[in-house]
This record gives sequence, C-alpha cells and structure tokens, in this order.
Amino acid sequence: MVTPLDVIKKKRAEAVSRIISKNFLATKRVYVGMATCEIAAGSDEVMKVFQDAVGKGRLTDVYLSQKGCAGRCNLEPTVEVVEAGKNPVRYGKINKERAKEIVERHLRNGEVISEWIID
Amino acid sequence: MTEKFVITICDGTTCINHGGREIQTVLQEQLRRNSLSDKARINLSGCLGMCQKGPIMVVNPGYTIYGSVQVEDVPEIVQKHLLKGKEVARLVIQEDHLYNCFLRIFGDSSFFGRQMRISLRNCGIIDPEKCDDYLALRGYEALAKVITDMSPAEVVEQVKKSGLRGRGGAGFPTGLKWEFSAREKSDRKYVICNADEGDPGAFMDRSAIEGDPHTILEGMAIGGYAIGADKGIVYIRAEYPLAIKRLTIAIEQATNEGVLGRNILGSDFSFDVELRLGAGAFVCGEETALIKSIEGGRGLPRPRPPYPSVSGLFGKPTLINNVETWANIPVIILDGADWFSSIGTETSKGTKVFALAGKVVNTGLIEVPMGTTLREIIYNIGGGITDGKKLKAIQTGGPSGGCLPASYVDTPVDYESLAQAGSIMGSGGMIVVDEDSCMVDIAKFFLEFTQDESCGKCTPCREGTRRMFEILTRITEGNGQPGDIEKLERLGRMIQKASLCGLGQSAPNPVLSTIKNFRQEYEEHIHQKKCHAKVCAGLITYQITEKCTGCGACKKICPVTAISGSPKKLHVIDSEKCIRCGLCYDTCKFSAIEKV
Repeated sequence: MVTPLDVIKKKRAEAVSRIISKNFLATKRVYVGMATCEIAAGSDEVMKVFQDAVGKGRLTDVYLSQKGCAGRCNLEPTVEVVEAGKNPVRYGKINKERAKEIVERHLRNGEVISEWIID
Repeated sequence: MTEKFVITICDGTTCINHGGREIQTVLQEQLRRNSLSDKARINLSGCLGMCQKGPIMVVNPGYTIYGSVQVEDVPEIVQKHLLKGKEVARLVIQEDHLYNCFLRIFGDSSFFGRQMRISLRNCGIIDPEKCDDYLALRGYEALAKVITDMSPAEVVEQVKKSGLRGRGGAGFPTGLKWEFSAREKSDRKYVICNADEGDPGAFMDRSAIEGDPHTILEGMAIGGYAIGADKGIVYIRAEYPLAIKRLTIAIEQATNEGVLGRNILGSDFSFDVELRLGAGAFVCGEETALIKSIEGGRGLPRPRPPYPSVSGLFGKPTLINNVETWANIPVIILDGADWFSSIGTETSKGTKVFALAGKVVNTGLIEVPMGTTLREIIYNIGGGITDGKKLKAIQTGGPSGGCLPASYVDTPVDYESLAQAGSIMGSGGMIVVDEDSCMVDIAKFFLEFTQDESCGKCTPCREGTRRMFEILTRITEGNGQPGDIEKLERLGRMIQKASLCGLGQSAPNPVLSTIKNFRQEYEEHIHQKKCHAKVCAGLITYQITEKCTGCGACKKICPVTAISGSPKKLHVIDSEKCIRCGLCYDTCKFSAIEKV
C-alpha cells in the first residue's frame, strides 16, 4: 500500500529534479533578498539587474533565485553567491550599480569584491 | 573573508565542557605552524545542537562535521583536510537536522553562526514562492509522517514531550493546549494561526511568513490532525501585503500538491486553510479578541474561562498558536521531541526569535537557543553598542514588557529568568538602549501606544492607561509634581490586577519596570526639572556656543524665528520663543549648538 510518507518522498524527488532542470547545478547560485524590508531598501531593482543579465545572456551558468529575509536589517539589500567547493560569499548594501558590478566582476570574471562582503 | 577554509568550532556550554576551548587554542597554534593563518579562519559558533558528540568542528567549504574532536586529533585534521584536501573519515559524523541547511550557507558568519535557526531554518535560503524549494528540504514530510505513522494522541504526546511553549509571549505549554482541544468532543474544531503581530518594532512573524510560508501551513495541518480539526485560519494583519501574497500562493500550491485540502496525500485526513485579514488593532492579537474579529464582530476580548480550547471560534473548540510556535512543529516531528528538548534550559526548550533593534551595531532578526545571555546577544551577535557608547538598558517584550538595567546583561533569555529580572519574554522585541536615551521618555512612548490601542471595554485599561500617560506627559514637560511616581505605581498595579485581558494587564509594565530600575531619573525630572539624557524637550534649552561661525543656517531653518544674529557673528537663541524642536541642533555643521 502506498502511504502518505511514500507519496511525499516521491514528491520530493520530483521537486528536486524540477529544481535541477531549472539549472540549479549551475556553477554559481545567486540569491537576492526579497522580503518587505529588503524591497523597501531597494532589492527589487537589484533583482532586476540580475534578471536582465540572465535574460540578455550576460549570465549563462548561473541559477538565480529570490529568498526571504535572513535578518541583516542594517545591511540590506543582501545578495549571496554560492559556488560549489567555495565558501559562500555574502554581499550587503547592494544597489543597482553594485549589482551590475557583481554581474561583471564576480559572476563573469570570478573576482570576489571584498569591500562589500558582510560577515 | 576570501579565505579558503572556514573552521567553525562550537562554543556552546557542552562543547566547552568537553574541551572545546582547548581545541580552539591548539587549532590556532597548528594553523600558525603550518603557515595557514591567512588561508583558514576560525569561527566560533553558538550551540550547534549536537551536544552529545561534542566538541564539534565544522570545516567549510564542504560542510564536513567532525565530532568528539580531541586535542590530539587537531594536527591530523590540519595535515589531512586543510593541506591535502582529504576528510579525516574516522571523525566525520553525519548529522542531518533540518536547521543544518541554513548553516551550510550562513554557518561560517559570526552573525549567523552564533545563532540556531529552528523556526527560521528556511528563511533566507529558499524561494518562498516556490513549493519545490520547500519540498526539497523535507517539506511536508512531518505532516506525511504523522498521518502515516502516528495517532493524534501520539502527536500531542510528542509536542508535550518537546517542552515547546507558546512563542506569542505568555509561554503557555503548547502540548497542554493541544491536549485540551484534542479531548473536547465536537462536530467541528478549528485551528488558528495568530499572525496579528502588533508590537511596535517587532517583525518576527512577518519575516517568518515572507521567508517560509509553507512551514506555518504544515505546522497547522499537523495541529489539525492532532486535535481532529479540518479547518485552519490564519489571522494576519492587512499591513503585511507581501506576507499575505506569499501565504495565498503557498495555500494554492499546497492544495495543488495535495498536502492541503481533501484527503491529504491519499489519506482520509482533510484540512483547509484560509486567511482572515485584521485591520491592525493591537488588541486583536489577544486570542479572544482575535476570535471575535474572525467571527465578524468588533475585536473585543472577553473574560476567560472558557478558554478557546474549549469554546473558541463560533463556540467550537479552537487551537490557537502563534506563527513561531507553528513553525517549530515540523522540526519537533522530524528531528524528535528528545532532540528538541535537549536545546534550551530546564524550563524553556528550543530557541527564540528576536527582533534586535535600537542602539546596537547589527540590528536584525536573530534566533538563539533559550538560555543565551543578553550579553551574548548584544555583544557577540549584535556587535556591541553603536558609536562605542555605554549600554544603559535592554527593553524586551515591547509595550507589554519591561526595561532591564545594564547590570542584568548576564541574564539568560528564558521565560522564567526574564520574568524574575522584572521583564518578560514577550513575542520577541528586543530594544537596546544606550546612555543617550531617557527612560521616562521610553516608558511614555510605550504607554502612548497602549493607551491609544486600548479597546475601551474595561475601565481600568481605558481610563487607567490614559491617566498614566497624562502623568508621564506632564513629567516630561517639566510639570511633574511630588507624588507622581507613587501615583503611577499605584495606578499601574491597579491596572495590572483589574484589567480584562493581557493588553491592560501588561500595559503598565514599561512604566513600573523603569520606575523600579531607574527611579532616580523620574525624581530628577520631577524635582530638579532635569532630563539627564537631554531628550525631554520641555526640560532642555538650546544654546549657541563660541564655535558659531555665523553662517546663518540655524536662523534660516528656525520655524519660529527665535534665532537672531548678523552674518559671520555669534548667533543667539531666544529661549522664550524657542519651541525646542531641535532643527537648529540637527542643522548646525559646526556642533555649535548645545543642549543644556
């Protein structure tokens, strides 16, 4: 008999493969904070920069996602770049211009921009 | 922070007792000896919830967890893992708690690493608008598990065993509440999530819902299964449009996935959730007023008993819990009540979320194990007081809570310790107050809020808070009279004892606790007509000092033309005309204006 537990495990496997099919295994994953507080600090503009970069093909090997608020109120908007085999890079106080630089310098050229990193 | 390795060492009590501090020293020494100091950074974390296998060391990237690390193991870890990139297999432990996913991304940061994220475990790491993201992190598995393997009574038993207490503020044992509603016989029962977060400065619930809405729904469905309810309602304030949007999306997704709605996951358990929007009245956070509001009436509290668990929404047994309480439920089911109750203190289990605000470097949303001291929160996570100022007080619990003086900074955060110290846990507001703040003014701020939000049903709260506010106002305006403090104390105690609901019963707390701990400041205001912190407008005057360059900026901005002086000459403020708005003080570029 198929139990609810079996059903949910199957659903999880399907969810995981759907996420992977959306390029989750790309070299870099980029998360942009999109809670009320982050948006108030201007994260929707930041998100748009990354979306445009993906849409226009400036970024190919990147998985882009929004996320809720992790809790860095005074440093928002925040952006994380997660790359397998490397420590996650967390950026704070990112605006439109900085986001463009992250696209060019970090995501396209692999340069971690240390001045904007938050602990 | 561009090091190759970040090594997190647990700095929780148990790990320290097992020798964690020695490990830190030896590791530092080893890193130096192998010229790795630039390539590896040591990060100290708060309790990682793996106490039985302590001391714990986590090496990133890769999130390798080493357990029971002894001093003699450290050179091997450095040689093998850091220099050759190979794990030391015999020390690796597999721990897969739900909160580990958060630490994989945030664990090497000193702000997040010191925390323990149980209820906020997915906030900041998943896309809250994608059900797949939640499902991938074992979402709805707890619900499936209870439906498959557990009887409703067993679920209640687990929650009781976990020691979880209500996170809305009062700290009533959650399991007992569940048991009371479960044992009622009724054709209909309800489950309610109280998301009517109203404390000024509090945003715990909003962040939780905006970051991970499915967790709340899953917790509620488990509650429904446990007490035999098929209907859940989230009462959320209309001021939270994004949270409402994400919950609405989540409910739709969950229904499509078959984890909400009729015959969940093919079982005979059905459970629906719908939203009810509150119009923003503070009193509607009180459970009986909230229920009244859902029923379509005016949000007024009523005397208890009967408690909602016996007679709640539409007179039916109703299980009502706060957002954060619900978010803990899936973890208790999947990681176990025993694990959950291993975290925290004797009487308060698990973690608590706080909205850390005020004069602290890192303001933010934090979640720490119960028993963490205020000092750790303010200095280790919060990064200390802004501008190197001195800590004066800590306000917890918002308008229902109290102010603890700086001498209480080593108080552990749990329900009993905070109450004993003269404040309350509350729903999680924590405001750090520095030496530049006036305690009378702070008390007045909170009372202004509660007297305005009093629903007016009972006289002690409606009239009493109003009178207290009037007395506080005249004290801050320089018209305080001898005997005012005693009057405030007497009134406060009466309101506490005679009010109908929690709003009134707790409204005097900010005043009474500041009188208790900062009585001298009240006396100064009343007798010497002085505000030590120079905050209360009625008790200060502005003066222009010799530093004045005569630029005229203050003269231009003064709304009542109280400032006179010719260009490039010293200006003067006419204190008769001055309304003490402080605009000149803020405008002056030469710090030439003083408050006296």
